[in-house]
Amino acid sequence: MFISKKHLPRRTFLKSIAGVSIGLPLLDAMIPALSAGTTAAKPQLRCAFIYTPHGVILDKWVPKTAGANYEITPILTPAEAFRDRFIILSNLAENPAKQAGAGHASSSATWLSGAVTKDTAGDDIHAGTTIDQMIASKIGQDTPMPTLELGIEDVSHMSGQCEGTSSCAYLNTMSWRNPTTPLPAEINPRIVFERMFGDGSSAAERYARLQEDRSLLDSITSAASKLKIRVGAQDRTRINDYLDNLREIERRIGQIEKRNTDAQLSVPDAPTDIPELYEDHVNLMFDLQIVGFQADITRVTTFMMSRELNNRTYPQIGVSDQHHVVSHHMYNPAQMEKHQKINTYHVKLFAGFLDKMQKTRDGEGSLLDQTMILYGSGMGDGNVHSHDPISVLLAGGANGRLKGGRHIQMEKHTPIANLLMSMMDVAGTPIDSIGNSNGKIDL
Amino acid sequence: MKNSLRYMALAALFAGASCAASSTDGFSALLNKYCVTCHSEKTRTAGLILENRDFSRVAEDAQIWEKVVRKLRAGAMPPMGLPRPDNADSDRFATWLETALDRASVEHPNPGRTLIHRLNRTEYGNSIKDLLDIDVDTTDLLPPDDAIDGFDNVAQMLTISPVLLERYLSASAKITRLAVGDPSAGITTTIYRAKPDLSQDAHVDGLPIGTVGGLAVTHYFPRDGEYSFQPQLSRSILFIVHGMEDRHSLEVTIDGQRVKIAQFGGIEEDTRSHLNAAQVGDEIDARMAFRIRVTAGPHKITAAFLRQPSDQSAEVWQQYLRTALDSNETKGAPHFNRIIIKGPYDSTGPGDSPSRRRIFVCHPAASQDELPCARKILSALARRAYRRPVTDNDMETLLSFYQQGRNQKTFDQGIESAMRRIISGPEFLFRTETDPTGVSPNTPYRISDLELASRLSFFLWSSIPDDELFAVASQGKLHERAVLEHQVRRMLNDPKSDALISNFAEEWLQLRNLRGLIPDPNVFPDFDDNLRQAFLKETTLLFGSVLREDRNVTDLLTADYTFVNERLARHYGISGVYGDRFRRVAVTDDARRGLLGQGSILSLTSVATRTAPVLRGKWVLSNLLGMPPTPPPPDVPALKEATGDAPLSMRDRMAQHRASPACAGCHRVMDPIGFSLENFDAVGQWRVKDSGAQIDAHDTVYDGTKIDGAVGLRNFLLTRRAVFVQTMTEKLLGYSLGRALGYYDMPAVRNILRDASREDNRFSSIVMGIVNSAPFQMRMKPAEAVEETSAAAE
Repeated sequence: MFISKKHLPRRTFLKSIAGVSIGLPLLDAMIPALSAGTTAAKPQLRCAFIYTPHGVILDKWVPKTAGANYEITPILTPAEAFRDRFIILSNLAENPAKQAGAGHASSSATWLSGAVTKDTAGDDIHAGTTIDQMIASKIGQDTPMPTLELGIEDVSHMSGQCEGTSSCAYLNTMSWRNPTTPLPAEINPRIVFERMFGDGSSAAERYARLQEDRSLLDSITSAASKLKIRVGAQDRTRINDYLDNLREIERRIGQIEKRNTDAQLSVPDAPTDIPELYEDHVNLMFDLQIVGFQADITRVTTFMMSRELNNRTYPQIGVSDQHHVVSHHMYNPAQMEKHQKINTYHVKLFAGFLDKMQKTRDGEGSLLDQTMILYGSGMGDGNVHSHDPISVLLAGGANGRLKGGRHIQMEKHTPIANLLMSMMDVAGTPIDSIGNSNGKIDL
Repeated sequence: MKNSLRYMALAALFAGASCAASSTDGFSALLNKYCVTCHSEKTRTAGLILENRDFSRVAEDAQIWEKVVRKLRAGAMPPMGLPRPDNADSDRFATWLETALDRASVEHPNPGRTLIHRLNRTEYGNSIKDLLDIDVDTTDLLPPDDAIDGFDNVAQMLTISPVLLERYLSASAKITRLAVGDPSAGITTTIYRAKPDLSQDAHVDGLPIGTVGGLAVTHYFPRDGEYSFQPQLSRSILFIVHGMEDRHSLEVTIDGQRVKIAQFGGIEEDTRSHLNAAQVGDEIDARMAFRIRVTAGPHKITAAFLRQPSDQSAEVWQQYLRTALDSNETKGAPHFNRIIIKGPYDSTGPGDSPSRRRIFVCHPAASQDELPCARKILSALARRAYRRPVTDNDMETLLSFYQQGRNQKTFDQGIESAMRRIISGPEFLFRTETDPTGVSPNTPYRISDLELASRLSFFLWSSIPDDELFAVASQGKLHERAVLEHQVRRMLNDPKSDALISNFAEEWLQLRNLRGLIPDPNVFPDFDDNLRQAFLKETTLLFGSVLREDRNVTDLLTADYTFVNERLARHYGISGVYGDRFRRVAVTDDARRGLLGQGSILSLTSVATRTAPVLRGKWVLSNLLGMPPTPPPPDVPALKEATGDAPLSMRDRMAQHRASPACAGCHRVMDPIGFSLENFDAVGQWRVKDSGAQIDAHDTVYDGTKIDGAVGLRNFLLTRRAVFVQTMTEKLLGYSLGRALGYYDMPAVRNILRDASREDNRFSSIVMGIVNSAPFQMRMKPAEAVEETSAAAE
């Protein structure tokens, strides 16, 4: 699969003004370029994990009845057009998150592992390996970027603001390569784009740079191996990490090189910067995932549409209070309504993603047909930091393995880890257990 | 060992202090009477048992006793409402414990172990600046680092991921291309934006006199050549350019020279723009765009509106101080949105940029000069970047990269290629320290002079050593006390020590959170970016004055002066301050003195719509008193807010909250501190009422002291000034080491404090104490020597 035409004039991204900003997101302009030369590839599963913080107003999210004929709820209404493409799973619980600190950081950090995060602000952070990483190790190894971690909020001004005694590391990503290595989420669309398509204005230039990167990596790897001998045991662990990561980058470069020789990789111009408006930013990040899927640069993505504990305000939908503050609504109806508005708005943006996925052709069907998407929060009632029940739904056809249009009402307190188990099955990567799993969910 | 002398001297010092260790019975009685009820074998409150403690073996329980000392010194135990020993008894006990602990640490010193330390984003940027004389925006190049307790230079948290390595690789390519002026870099686009809530009806700092609003940036031009500039104005949601009803002029300057002036607005254009806003907007864009030849290197670009009499009419429209922008509004002042710089076109060469001057210390005249010149350039760069002498091995590697680039392209690009290797390799990116072979496991040893030089420069400058520091260290003299002191003073006097303000102070005081501060515009319509910037500047100038004037660090709490510009003075109600320049003024309002009277701290501890006494209390406890409260329990009991009735005052709501036993323990400590500051609203303005109710800023703090308002809180903190100085010292020591402190560091902390108190707790005395301390100058060899050699052999 390759992208065949240079389609998008850079001006599209530059011609934006305050309040309007990037009107035409990346994808719309790119689709012709992407689809024109696409050869029919054999269907390939993709996975996306989309997180929203602070839980939801539960009774406005969970339908009253189970099964296919449930009545759509207010929060889910913006996604109603896709109700036959998603499964609502109620009564799931993320109780391991309860054990750590005040429970915001752990909500996202536990979401994809079902594992307890060690309550520490110190240097001994510990969480569970997340399923995006496990799935990618099976289905993503012959793509340049096995996983892509995306976020929206700049966390670099976070200082001392992380929750209670728990480390900022838990808050800033929901993707853990292993129990001690959180993977930072990238927020700048331009940088994501450069990582996907490389840095350089022509194929020849990109090729030359890849060669240069390769010899740099060789030299750095040999220097790191020498360094390893000189340092103590603890430091050696760090250097081993470094060496592993260097090998991973080498692998990626190999992949990109292979792609370059397989096809004429011609790419559109990169987006220039982070859009000013939240909505544009979120949409652009969704687009990048679709582009990544379509060009087969990545098959697994995680995206925090917003991070736990964030103080974002949503004046565009009439909520000028901070999200975290309104999520502690103390059951005051006016505050609850604001929280619900934000929940609904997030679903609306998510529905936009589903819409584009559905419209993007992939092989014989649509990208949505091939993808498994987990959407939701690791919290339920944000007011009391409750992790039981939480609000999630599973969307997409997962390559024919998932059928939407249902509300599956689980037994109360069913661990979300059971859902993770089932998702691993769907991905063709079954495991014996994860986190606090005690079974599977029949999807 | 070299250090044994120092230890013997210290041991002798403590021997004198410790002979009074006779009346430990009294201490047992004190513990039994006041502490054991809660901290018995059975009750174990907070997991702490103080029953039947053996005072002859204090050192073995150092971790526990350090906790006890901390609580006693802060006056935090026993809790409020329970009987307390009198202060003299409590102090005597604390002193005895400290003496015993310090003595034990002299016998068995533990300087801790600083781990391998990846340069964090800030250190990377500063090091690049010092190495190549080029300012790069690292926030654009690298992902942020994780922080512990607010500090992002903690070695253990500076982890590595594939993304990070990819970014280091691509950053190295971008930086070296820019530094050398590589012709293959092509045309690049950079956008600079004004903050959306920047008020633009007044002069902005750094812009030409006689202008209002706008933006000043320093842009790095990679090569001599033509560049296109596209200034753009803010438009409303209907595409109408703001402020069109009057005629305005936008001026663009490069290094102070006007290069463009363009008019827009006025009745005719305003009318047309209501018919076809997008078209008129595009016309205005086109009028402002220009292309001009610029030389390589950094140049200051400004874009701002000329001040004119008609600005008066703009102000008439304004209801609030803040001019920025309701996206529906089109009246009022014009707003500068952003400038897009693109180029180079028709480049004539790499030019003579500062970084090329720094890098190319020789220019080969003939081809046989090339290799010797490359060797000269690269060995100088590598020595600075690696912070150690360059080995033959290093040079072999670098020259092979040079040769690759040279063979494919030019001499310059050969150098560029080798430079990439320098700044993307582990020798540059990691600060490593090596255990000497002659030292047995579990033994502290003194780090080498070169390692000390690195620790020093990363502590004081967040960057690599300069040539002088490196030279002194290479001669093996740096550890000599007088030499070291001379270097520290020199480094503190260097402007590069501003890193202590922009990193240490901003992280310690959490000032970085100001960037994300967005008070609700409906409640605080005057708040704008100008005020946000002013808040930050005021506090960093105050900290800077303590650093630069070498003041007593408690001046941070008590300073009777501060720094304001017109915007901030208006906010505080100080009269007679005009213009955007910050100046030192006397603080006449007692409540405003020191950090706790500053808008920065008061607003970053508030939420969007109101004050948050809990956050203020927590901030004071964590950052000034070194007692961060424990986090809330997993399931915070929900409180029903009275609905329909008049809103409860903050104090009433919190009183309800505190009524829950699960919450009371900590809130009783946090809340009174916060309540004493209630006269300052969520953006730090003075008030006497909250939601219509008179503010009551009286309260009783955790040690039973009754306080009244901000002044009362400050006076209380001054009774605990030693705790404040200790807290700052601990934060600074942890920052200097790049690791979290442990209980075993506390004797060193007390040592630093003892010395500093003799010098009036001047800033430099604390820095000097840290630099001379065992944790800073020494390192513990771990107890794993056998395993280590076998691993090394594999």
